[in-house]
Amino acid sequence: MNYSALFIQLLPEAVLVITALVLLGVAVAFESKKLQQFPAAAAIALATLGILIAGGVLFLLPCAKDSGTPLIVSDPLARLFKGVVLGLGLLAVWLPPGRREIPQIGEFYALLLFSLTGLLLTIGTNHLLFLFVALELASLSLYLLAGFPSTAKASEASLKYFLFGGVSAAFMLFGLSFLYGFSHTAKLTDIAVALAAGPPTALAITGLLLVLVGLAFKMAAAPFHYWAPDVYQGAPATTVALVSAASKAVGLVVIVRLLMIGFHSVAGSAGLGAMLPGWSMWLAVLAAVSMIFGNVLALAQSSVRRLLAYSAVANTGYLLVALAANGQSAAGSALFYVVVYGLATLGAVAVTAAVERDRSDDSLSSFAGLVHRSPLQAVALLVFLSSLAGIPPLAGFFGKFAMFSNAMAATGSGGQPGLAWLVGLGAIMSAISLYYYLSVLKQAFVRQGPDEKTSPCLSLCHALAVIVPASLIVLLGLFPSLLLGPITQALKLSLGL
Amino acid sequence: MNPAWTILSAFAGVLLVLLLPSRFAGLARVIALAASIVGVVAAAAGCLQRLTHPEAKVWDLNLPWVPELGIHFHLSANGISLTLLLLTGLVAVAGVLFSWNVSHRPRAFFAWFLTIIGGVYGVFLSRDVFLLFVCYEVVILPKYMLIAIWGSTNKEYGAMKLTMYSIGGSALILIGLVVAYAAAGATSFDLDFLASVTYSSSLQAWAFPVLFLGFAVLAGMWPFHTWAPTGHVAAPTAASMLLAGVVMKLGAYGALCVAMPLFPQGFEQWKWAIALLAVVGIVYGALTALAQKDLKFVIGYSSVSHMGFVLLGLAVANQWGLRGAILQMISHGIIAGLLFGIAGRVVYERTHTRDLTELQAFDLWKSLPGAAIAFTLATAASMGLPGFSGFVAEISVVIGLWRAFPWLTLAVAIGIIITGAFSLRAMHRAFFPVRKPSDTPAQILPSLTWSEISAISLLLVVSLAIGIYPKPWVVLIDDGLRSSLFHSILSLP
Repeated sequence: MNYSALFIQLLPEAVLVITALVLLGVAVAFESKKLQQFPAAAAIALATLGILIAGGVLFLLPCAKDSGTPLIVSDPLARLFKGVVLGLGLLAVWLPPGRREIPQIGEFYALLLFSLTGLLLTIGTNHLLFLFVALELASLSLYLLAGFPSTAKASEASLKYFLFGGVSAAFMLFGLSFLYGFSHTAKLTDIAVALAAGPPTALAITGLLLVLVGLAFKMAAAPFHYWAPDVYQGAPATTVALVSAASKAVGLVVIVRLLMIGFHSVAGSAGLGAMLPGWSMWLAVLAAVSMIFGNVLALAQSSVRRLLAYSAVANTGYLLVALAANGQSAAGSALFYVVVYGLATLGAVAVTAAVERDRSDDSLSSFAGLVHRSPLQAVALLVFLSSLAGIPPLAGFFGKFAMFSNAMAATGSGGQPGLAWLVGLGAIMSAISLYYYLSVLKQAFVRQGPDEKTSPCLSLCHALAVIVPASLIVLLGLFPSLLLGPITQALKLSLGL
Repeated sequence: MNPAWTILSAFAGVLLVLLLPSRFAGLARVIALAASIVGVVAAAAGCLQRLTHPEAKVWDLNLPWVPELGIHFHLSANGISLTLLLLTGLVAVAGVLFSWNVSHRPRAFFAWFLTIIGGVYGVFLSRDVFLLFVCYEVVILPKYMLIAIWGSTNKEYGAMKLTMYSIGGSALILIGLVVAYAAAGATSFDLDFLASVTYSSSLQAWAFPVLFLGFAVLAGMWPFHTWAPTGHVAAPTAASMLLAGVVMKLGAYGALCVAMPLFPQGFEQWKWAIALLAVVGIVYGALTALAQKDLKFVIGYSSVSHMGFVLLGLAVANQWGLRGAILQMISHGIIAGLLFGIAGRVVYERTHTRDLTELQAFDLWKSLPGAAIAFTLATAASMGLPGFSGFVAEISVVIGLWRAFPWLTLAVAIGIIITGAFSLRAMHRAFFPVRKPSDTPAQILPSLTWSEISAISLLLVVSLAIGIYPKPWVVLIDDGLRSSLFHSILSLP
């Protein structure tokens, strides 16, 4: 193992950690001199700079075929999604952090950078132990980020997130120990070899099941989603954006790696008439439950943040539909959709944060008359929610369409598409989701607000966090190949299938 | 001028309207009118070219779009597409003219209006089912906004109901399309390719009803028609015209050009059910229209009845039936546009009521003679009197029906009689009330404006033209029916 080569591979993460430390140091120096509070704008600027440099380093780094250790891999899939996560993280940084001023602003952004570091490391590993450590680095930072500023709601969010997350981590670690017991290795590629050698033992299957339960917690798949509504409601907008967009994308990459590299041979099938035991069936059940739970419960919400949380559960369901099909193009379209979903939900959180600033409330009725108060916010909200509902020509529509068609192509018996039952359920649930997205848009476009005053302009960063995702969603909706092409290519090279 | 100008003009119009500074918001209607006229001219030019050069190759544009899924940006204009484009253009022009007085947020109104038009053009031109589905879905959100913001009478409920029915139909269409894509080897979404594959009969047996039903919801097939009357009544005039005039045709067009060619065996298996539901729709729609108090509800239910003829023509599936179905789509598009324009704009904006009893107080044939004459002619067209387009269309369907399901003609005849009854009842009560000399004299209403007169005459002239000289339309439709898409349908026993 060559340490200097390893360090070069980890340069983007190193840049993030250094920025975080600088941020902490500056903030402490500021406060110890009792001058004044460390300005949030400076913290945002510093974090932006760090993320941009990390992105630049990532872009310039040569694509290493093999780093000599499974701990760190920088295959095309990892590089692509590290870029995606940095981008989503940057947009999250630009959001206003909290509804109230955060006294410890330096710590807040330092933790954010630590969680981003954890997310990046999680993407680029084929080693189960390292995966767990990286995931917990990201998660622990996120638990803390949910608790700023210390209000009752935020503390509730943070505590619930921590308790549920801690239990899920325990499940996952327990499962990982089973997998190690079965194969005597923590390397995914070696586990694949061990599994291919003979019929899967109960030990391996139980281990995989436990790991998937742990990941389902992180992805907010029903019935493991109970933390999501409270976190979305209580946590600051920045944290919600990070949890919903970046962390979900990372969770999906991890599942794709785990299942398609390590456990490809125990996929089984969820196809009607061709059912075989394996993870495909578990994912299909999780997908069905998530889509039904998420969509039905979202119908009853009056708080937009909680509505977005249930929509997150439903969208995890759609992603799992594609994964249950166990195909490379289906996984590619799921990766496409998770990026687009992240952009849309991040944008929706950004607009919600703007409405909260003006109305100090995130209830549906506080969106009334948004189109008169701020046409920009209203149109952007239209783009985000229509994309989530799957209205063309926005990227969310294409993503769902691609996932459903690729999942349908998974074979069943007698020339019949096997997953038709699951895809059918997904299509119908997605139609139902239009109802609750429209109920927000109805407030924004149809109802009259209490007054016709124009709302004050957003800060530059906040406006960018609204405009950039909206433009990307329109662009990717019209030209999906811009993202789907690289993802397909990266998957082909990284999975070696 | 190639037919792509229809789509281009509509979306260029949307952009221009949105870019207008708020001082010039009044110009939005002018831009919308210009865009609609460009569209109608492009469609008419396409029709003329096809008529004069019937042997020429069909206009076709095929560009790769998403190679990962085998999606192409594929447009093509055969005779059926061209006639339906012309219909859309005509209704669009009339719709803009009938909305000349919209003053509440005019830029947004015309932007949504033109988006619907562009989407409809796109559906009629697409030869790639993904592109077709995109255009089909583009229409949904504008429909909601037009009704919920500018509508009347229970508008938010009507808008939401219509939208949920549309998206529910779309979900079924999505399932049907991706099933066909997957079963055909997951390589291409091209309509002609998907139609050339023979799917297993067990697949066709369930995929056809799913796909057909998805389209039929939007075509107003009984018992999934209930969105149509509530939606039409709640919608502002231009939106009712578009909904009844062209959007319901999208459903019928999709059923004809996608569902039936993709799964011909499934169609063969289910056509009796379609015919039955269509006939029930014809009679039920007419009977319900007979009992309505609101003039727009009468027209709304009459749309359900008239669209029953389209579905019946599809179920018959011989040359006469399909030709009649498309003629009825065009005829009903024009007549429904006309009726909704007169009821929603000309009458309602002046009297502020559509209640048949309350309208008696206005003595409309004296206070608004122009509207009374126009409505009488439109009613005659709607009843299917010879000389109007409705006659040509319905007689074709009935001839086709006689060859396929002779017994059902009896039920259709009853439906036609009831249509006469409800049309005359509504016309009589609204425009020619019986008044005692002792009643207070009706107030004087402002006479028709130039925009109303030109919209009414445009639609009336076209309906008469089709009724008197249907040949060019029939030639164009037969040209479209020769497409390889319909071989499997027309060759059924």
